[in-house]
Amino acid sequence: MNVFQLEIVTPTSLLDQGKISYLRCPGLDGSFGIMHNHREGIIALGVGEIKVETNGKVKWLATSGGFVEISQNRVKMLLETVEASKNIDTKRAEEALKRAKNRRVGSNKNIDEARRDIALLRAVNRLKISKK
Amino acid sequence: MANLKDIRDRIKSVKSIQKVTKAMKMVSAAKMRRAQERMEQARPYSQSLEEVIHHILPDVDREIFSLLDVREIKRKAYVIVAADRGLSGSFNANILKAAQNEIDTFGKENVDLFCIGKKARDYFKRREYTIIESHVDFWSDMEFDSAMKIGRSIVDHFVSGKVDEIHVLYNYFISVGQQKVKSEVLLPLSYDEKESSISDRLYEPSKEILVKSLIPRHLNVQMWKYLLESYASEQAARMMAMENATTNAQDMIKDLTLQFNKARQAAITTEMLEIVSGAEALSD
Repeated sequence: MNVFQLEIVTPTSLLDQGKISYLRCPGLDGSFGIMHNHREGIIALGVGEIKVETNGKVKWLATSGGFVEISQNRVKMLLETVEASKNIDTKRAEEALKRAKNRRVGSNKNIDEARRDIALLRAVNRLKISKK
Repeated sequence: MANLKDIRDRIKSVKSIQKVTKAMKMVSAAKMRRAQERMEQARPYSQSLEEVIHHILPDVDREIFSLLDVREIKRKAYVIVAADRGLSGSFNANILKAAQNEIDTFGKENVDLFCIGKKARDYFKRREYTIIESHVDFWSDMEFDSAMKIGRSIVDHFVSGKVDEIHVLYNYFISVGQQKVKSEVLLPLSYDEKESSISDRLYEPSKEILVKSLIPRHLNVQMWKYLLESYASEQAARMMAMENATTNAQDMIKDLTLQFNKARQAAITTEMLEIVSGAEALSD
């Protein structure tokens, strides 16, 4: 089995995932997969789900964005936040969803709307992944 | 010589003060350890981020980003990271003095201030500096979000063109016994223009968009770093100060106990003298 190294780095933690065989990330314009011997590069990520496959076992993670740096069979994900599906606090996510839906748009229309949309997106994403 | 009761009361009060300083020392030590851990956790992220930015930046046009914009410096903003509380030795005094010096050399009227921590806010308010914003009372439940919130308004201030340069003054944590006031330029971002080492790299969506999303993240992390460094320094400074206070109290207790014993003996001696001379007077 061809494997590669995955490291997930956030401002408050460092998670070494060890050798994995497949990784799917939420790119800004759609999901994409990374396998052994992927081309080197830097790719921005949006809000979405991350799928990590190790020896046929699948793990789901929720992220609010960041980017991924691929170098020779070493992948480093730099994420603002990351949560494993089993650690997601569904109650908090539901509350965030409710809050985002009811959020009032104030004087600064563009910014407020953008912030509301992103909060909504994050909450929906976390709820979705928590069920996996 | 002071009377016995006075000395006994003083010993009692010094002892209770010593208890407080000892407890404060313990608390600071625990808090400092936590801050240090967080600092270590944040390091890999900020380092990787910096590396990536270094790789991309030489290839993009500086002028399209307002955050990289180098302008003629007419007005500066200073971000001063101090503490909410005192009793931490010269921690607050050092940074406030250094900040005031730096601001006054540039000219007080041309400087906007962002004060972090009550001590900074009160100090500059009293001296009538222009304070744009102050952040207090967040240290105990400090999260990455707080850094983002503080960072946002500071960055906005630069982007909107109100100031041409942003400086940050904070206490850099060298070791438990040593902290240093550091002054850094936060914006505009400066990087030495190096050749990028890997040319055949895939950038998605595009370098420009990547940089656009990376730089705000970089600034957030930077802000986070400043807060953590300062917090760790504050706790270290307080720990040392309280340690000193505890030893001083111990010395004082020793001196007072000696005095107390001397006074007690003197009192006994006088009493005995009185009895003896009284008895002698009777027998005569």
